Amino acid sequence: MNSLLARHPERDLVRYLDGEMPARKSAKVARHLESCGRCRAELETWKESLAECARYQHELAARMPETPQPWRDLYRDFSRIDESLANPSLLVRLTRPLVHSGAPRWAFATGLAALIVLLSLNQLRQAPSVQAASILRKAVAISESHPRAAHRIRVRTSHQQEFTRMAGAQAAVLAVAEAQAVSALFQAAHYDWDDPLSARAFQQWRDQQVHKTDEVTTVSNPQLPSWAYTQIKTTSPEGEIESATLTLNQGDYQPLEEVLEFRDHEWVELSEISEGDIAGGTLGRHVDIPVRAAEPPSRPAALSPESSASISDELQVLSALSAIEADLGDPVEVSLAGGKVKVIGGDGISPRRQDQIRASVAEIPHVEVEFAPPSPAAAPPETGATIAGTASAAPVSPLETRLEKQLGGHAELDRFSTQVLDLDEAAMQRVYALRRLAEKFSPQEEAQLRAQDRNALDELSRKHAAVLAEKVSGMERILLPTLTSLGGTVASVHPAGHTAWQPAAQDIYRSARRVEVLVSQMLGMTQGNASSNALPSDLMAALQELQGNLDDCQKFLQAR
Amino acid sequence: MAQLYIETREDVYRYLLTLGVHPPKAQEAVQEVFLRLYTSLKKGEKIESLRGWVFRVAHNYGLKVRARQSAEQKFDPAFEARLASPAADAERNLLDREKMTRLNHAVEGLSDQQKRVLFLRMEGLRYPQIGATLGISASAVGEFLRRALLRLRKVRDE
Repeated sequence: MNSLLARHPERDLVRYLDGEMPARKSAKVARHLESCGRCRAELETWKESLAECARYQHELAARMPETPQPWRDLYRDFSRIDESLANPSLLVRLTRPLVHSGAPRWAFATGLAALIVLLSLNQLRQAPSVQAASILRKAVAISESHPRAAHRIRVRTSHQQEFTRMAGAQAAVLAVAEAQAVSALFQAAHYDWDDPLSARAFQQWRDQQVHKTDEVTTVSNPQLPSWAYTQIKTTSPEGEIESATLTLNQGDYQPLEEVLEFRDHEWVELSEISEGDIAGGTLGRHVDIPVRAAEPPSRPAALSPESSASISDELQVLSALSAIEADLGDPVEVSLAGGKVKVIGGDGISPRRQDQIRASVAEIPHVEVEFAPPSPAAAPPETGATIAGTASAAPVSPLETRLEKQLGGHAELDRFSTQVLDLDEAAMQRVYALRRLAEKFSPQEEAQLRAQDRNALDELSRKHAAVLAEKVSGMERILLPTLTSLGGTVASVHPAGHTAWQPAAQDIYRSARRVEVLVSQMLGMTQGNASSNALPSDLMAALQELQGNLDDCQKFLQAR
Repeated sequence: MAQLYIETREDVYRYLLTLGVHPPKAQEAVQEVFLRLYTSLKKGEKIESLRGWVFRVAHNYGLKVRARQSAEQKFDPAFEARLASPAADAERNLLDREKMTRLNHAVEGLSDQQKRVLFLRMEGLRYPQIGATLGISASAVGEFLRRALLRLRKVRDE
C-alpha cells in the first residue's frame, strides 16, 4: 500500500489546503480524505484556523495607520527612469573615464570612500534630532490618547527649594511663593508651566528653538534589564533655557524626570511621584519622598484588601489561572487596576475555555473577567484544495543531509525533528510565562510583598522553572549525542552572575530564543549566518547557557 | 504596472508595518520598490511573479530600513493600532483595543519567521514566493505555517 494512504497525512493537510502540493501527492491525500473521517475533521479544523488568521489580519489591517501621504503618482518617476536609462547618470559618466582611462584603482576607491564618509557623517549629524523628534511625537500621541489624571510631581530648584504640585488634567493653581517664582521662570522661558513634566511641553519648547542640538541616550539598569529609559537632551544657544533633559520610560513613554538648566546657571528639576508612594491629599508644600528615575513606578500595593483588590488577589488569580494552564498560550492578561483584578481574554478563546477561566477565579474577590466578543465569521481564505500545486522541492542543507545520515534516514529525521520541536515549544511556553512573572514582579516589588504573597509567587515561578528544566533536559538528552556526533564540542560558558531570579528569567528568555533559532536552522526551517560546521557547537553552547541561566534562576527561587 | 501598483501597494505597506518599519518609511519603501520593479523590467529582467518579486524586494528593503532604526524607534503595529482606533465609541473602543492586545499577544508567541510566513500567506503569496522572500524552502514555509497555526489553534481550542 502506498505510504501516504497507509498513514494519516496530518502534517501535510495545511499544504494540501493551500494547494501547495504536487498534483500526484495532492490526489493521494484527497483519496485518503474520502475514506478517513478523522483526517476530514482535522482538515476542517485547519480551515477554521486559516479563517481565523484571515480575520485577525483583517482586523489588524483595519487598525493600522493610513499612509501618512497620498500615494505618489509614479508616472513622472517612470519618465525619469526612462531618461536615466537612456542617458547614464552623472556619477556613471564621471566614473567611466576613471574606470576606463587607466587611472589607479586606489584613486577611485579613495574618492568613493570619502563620499561614503561624508554621507555617513551627514546622516549621523542628523540622526539624534530626527530620533528625538520621533520619540517626542510618539510620547505626545500616547499622552493625548490616554490623558493622565491629575498627578503629583516634585519640583526642586537650584535654590534648594523643594515642593510638590499637581499636574495633568486638574492641575491646581499654586499660590505658594516658591511655586510662583518657578512659574515666572517658566513663563519667561516660554515653557508650559501648567503641565511642565510632559512630552508635549518639552516638544513645544523644543520646536521654538531654531539652532538646537539634540542628544538621545538610552539608560538601562543592569540589575533590571527589562527597565530602560530614554533621555532626550536638547541644548539651545537662544532663549532663557540653555538645555532641557527629559527622561521617558522606554516602555510606555511616560515622562519620569526633567531637568531644565537656565542661562543664569539656575536649574529646575521635575520628577514624577508615583501614586503608590502617596496616601492621597492635595498639594503639599514639601513632601520628602525619594524619587529615583532609575526605578520603575510602583503599583498600587498599598490598597486596602477589604475595599479593593490587592496584589494578594492578583497573585491568587495568577495561581488559579496557572492551575488550569491558562498562562501557557491562552491570550489572557491579568492586571490590577481601579481596585479590581482584571482578567481580560482575547479573541479565539472557546466558550468552554471561557467558562473554565471564569470558574477558576469565581471564588476570588474583586475580580472582573471580560472576554472579547467573537469576531464575525469571515469567509475562509481562497485556499482551493483542488489547485494543483507546483511546490518546488526543498533544497536540503549539507547539515540536514548529515543529520539524516547520522539518524538513519528520512523517517528518523522526521521523528527527531518532531520530538525536538515539541519539546522546544513546551519549553518556550514556560519561558514566556516565567518572563511575564519576572516583568510583573520586579525585585523591588517582590521585596514589598507579604510573606504569603511571596510564597504564592515563589510557587508559581518554581513550577514554571521546574517544568522548563524538565523540557530542557529532554532536549539535551535528544540533541547532545547527535550534536556531538556531528562534530559539536562543548565550550566553557561563563556564569552570568545574576543577583535575583528576575534577571535570570530574562536571560533564560534570551538563551531559549537562541536555542529556538539554532534548532530551526539545524532542521533546515530557516537560514542563518552560522556555517553548518559551527552550528552543532553553537547550539551546544546555547543549550549550556540556557541551562546555566535556568540553574541560576532555580537557585534563587529555591533559596527561600 | 499601474494596475499592480494600485492593487498591491497597500498590502506591501501593511506588511512592512508588521516588520516594524515606521509608516512614512514604509510608504517610501513601497514606492521605491515599484520604481525598482519598473527599472528591472525596463532593463529586460524576466520576472515570473511580479507580486512575489515586489514582496521579496520590499522584505529585504524593509529589513534594511528597520535595521537603521534604533531599538526604541521600532514600529509596533499593535501599539499603533491602539492609537489609531477611532474615539467615537469609548467603551467599544476600549474593548477593541483590549481584543487587539490579546490577539497580538497570541501572535507574539510565534517566532519571527513563523509570523512572517503567516503574514505573507495572509497576503496571498504562494509557498515558493514566501520561501524566495524569506530565503527558505517551500517545504520549510509549509512547516513554519503549520506550526504557527498549531500554536494559534491551541489557544482557540483549549
